[in-house]
Amino acid sequence: MFHAKKEGRFSAGRFVALLLSVVLVASTGLGLAACGGSTPAPTSGTASSGSGSSGAATEPAAAVELQIFAANSLERALPEVQALYTAENPNVSFADSQFKGSGDLVTELEGGAPADILITASSATMDTAVENGNIDEATRSNMFQNDLIIVKQAGSSVTISSLSDVNGSAISKVAIGDADAVPAGSYANQSLFTIGLYSAESGKGGEYLEGFADKVVIQSSVGNVAKTVATGDAQIGFVYTSDLYRYDDIEQAFVVPADTHKNIVYPGAVVASSAHASEADRFLEFCLTNPDALRIWAQYGFEVAAS
Amino acid sequence: MRNRLKLTARTILVLIVMVSTTLLMPFSAQAAEEAEELTLDASGSAAALEGVSFAVDGFARNNKGTARAYAGEDIGYRYPLAGRGAFVVVALEDELLIYLPEETNASFGLDFSQDTAAQTQLLTLLFALDEANSNGGITLEQLDLPAVFTHSDTVAHRGCLIRFGVEVEPGYYYVTVTAEADALPAPDTARQASFVETGLLVPADTLTIQTAPEGLDALTDFLTNMDYRPFWVSLRTSLTAMIFVFVLGLAAARFSLKVSEHVKDVLDAVFTIPMVLPPTVIGFLLLVVFGNSTDFGRWLIDHGIELVFSWPAAVIAATVVAFPLLYRTARGAFEAQDANMLDAARTLGWGEGRIFFKLMLPLAWPSIAAGTVLAFARAMGEFGATLFVAGNYAGVTQTMPIAIYFQWMGGRSDVATFWVFVVILISFVVILFINLYARHTQKFRLGTTARKERSTGEEQEEEDVERESLERSVRDTGEERSGP
Repeated sequence: MFHAKKEGRFSAGRFVALLLSVVLVASTGLGLAACGGSTPAPTSGTASSGSGSSGAATEPAAAVELQIFAANSLERALPEVQALYTAENPNVSFADSQFKGSGDLVTELEGGAPADILITASSATMDTAVENGNIDEATRSNMFQNDLIIVKQAGSSVTISSLSDVNGSAISKVAIGDADAVPAGSYANQSLFTIGLYSAESGKGGEYLEGFADKVVIQSSVGNVAKTVATGDAQIGFVYTSDLYRYDDIEQAFVVPADTHKNIVYPGAVVASSAHASEADRFLEFCLTNPDALRIWAQYGFEVAAS
Repeated sequence: MRNRLKLTARTILVLIVMVSTTLLMPFSAQAAEEAEELTLDASGSAAALEGVSFAVDGFARNNKGTARAYAGEDIGYRYPLAGRGAFVVVALEDELLIYLPEETNASFGLDFSQDTAAQTQLLTLLFALDEANSNGGITLEQLDLPAVFTHSDTVAHRGCLIRFGVEVEPGYYYVTVTAEADALPAPDTARQASFVETGLLVPADTLTIQTAPEGLDALTDFLTNMDYRPFWVSLRTSLTAMIFVFVLGLAAARFSLKVSEHVKDVLDAVFTIPMVLPPTVIGFLLLVVFGNSTDFGRWLIDHGIELVFSWPAAVIAATVVAFPLLYRTARGAFEAQDANMLDAARTLGWGEGRIFFKLMLPLAWPSIAAGTVLAFARAMGEFGATLFVAGNYAGVTQTMPIAIYFQWMGGRSDVATFWVFVVILISFVVILFINLYARHTQKFRLGTTARKERSTGEEQEEEDVERESLERSVRDTGEERSGP
């Protein structure tokens, strides 16, 4: 036994050397990557033609990094608009934007996660953030409108011709967002309330009708709802129109009548603790007015709010 | 053995290539189907038909428009257009309204409102482009509406006025829908069209179309466009965590040997518990300790220690979950060591530190090395606690496991699959490494004499001899004791 272990020290030396070299290689690689990433942006103060009413680009532009917390449904469209903004304002870059259920984002913000901009998928979640004192209320405005739809897996034979078909015999699993964290879930519940399948009008804190409750699959974000339907784990799910355009393998089955749920609006606002409040506000304005940004929203199915 | 190793490496490589080509097959098959007559650009924005003088570029499907006023002026519900002279396809409830400006008609010498051959060709192009851009929304083909071609700039439809090519701001054109003499409320004008498509008609010979890459090209394309940061984040996080795990784990293992049995039991439970607890519990506790929601967390934050949702938080999470693996293997190895031998070293006047570094550590080394590798793999695979305290920030805290979850959830299954294979490969290599290393040490166990010849360095030799004599003396005493 001891003979064997004597070898130990030699191996130890080799092992440590190996480990060290790996660390060295890794850190060099990372160092290079970091250098590439944080190249200070040239500060050309050229006011782009598209900035529209954002105006005031006269002061010398200092490098700014904005952190955005946005509703999960914006995951594909918003980064494109961010890229557009960076192309026109090279001094502004974006940290990895967080796309989660609006409720989760509000909780994280309250928990101290640093952010500059919050865009939620319902007025109620934004109201909570305002009550928590995390939002600069003066900057709040409605950014987008969306529709609630029922989706099915691409090529599925399921047909939904009215809301009550949701509880039809052909349906065994319905994916719905968790109403506490996912606004799409509470909108869906509001609609289900109108046909007696959910017990609370507000879409939150209620119960699903017995018999229907067994069919409901609760998901933590509207993206997960779409994904559950795309994989066929649920036959149908409640998502936004805009979700169609960011997922493959799902198809629109039914547009939920707009009068069965609250108006779906996405409020956006600057976070109270933001160190770059004016830049953040300028970006929000850009989102709503820049004609190239409007193209992106239109393609992803986000209707820019009238006011 | 080297031969066998080479063989394994080659098998793995072949496996990867096979799996990735299978994964990418559907893409190439789809592309081949459409390549007969119609060529579609990889971006889905351009298409051309063989033998047709015109082609489409800059195609876009506007699933929604906006009623937002421009510079304070209400101009109705509007959809952005591809540019000046763009054609427009309006999917109305009862017809497909296709607008081609007169100048476009003239420049191609065609009259789309009369020429049925040109109409069919254009519709073929449009249907293909629409299909590529519909993404699960209703396609033109599914709508199956009669196509109505027009070149007039304003069309009245069910109490609405549809205006084409409205230049709202310099260089940006729109199609607007307004109520005819306030006949309809605003929401109804918005609902006139289910969607609006636009693009530019260009001469086919000036358009270069880049079809989607196929087979190996698709794979290369996929790999070059891949964001590899999760790998580096994982590596950086787990290597940094391993430094802490290694030092803390060995210290804890050594310390637990010194204390009394009862204290040891409790201590062992404390040190091992992160291995048993669900990572979410660890994440929750870390969030309580470092987060903004408790007095202690706020006190830390006030003193400049802001850890939540930062890279150090990911390191802490990885350290906590990986720690027990190293601690337990090290402790096991230390406990298995003959106490007589350590006592013998003490009789020779060795200090505790020297005993630990020169005797216990080298003797326990094979176990510790295996434990280190296992702990490293665990740190690399950490998901729950990391997500809880460090979040999902690409390039900062987004490790491979977190990337898999969010890429899958975000509809990018191909990227998720890539990372799944990378993680499986790494885990496989780790286990293989442990096995080979164990075999390696085992071999020396059987042939110590062969090794002795190779050992160099005087000091080394000296210490070896010293340790060897120590072991021998311990063995002898052991034999004496066990003797009759």
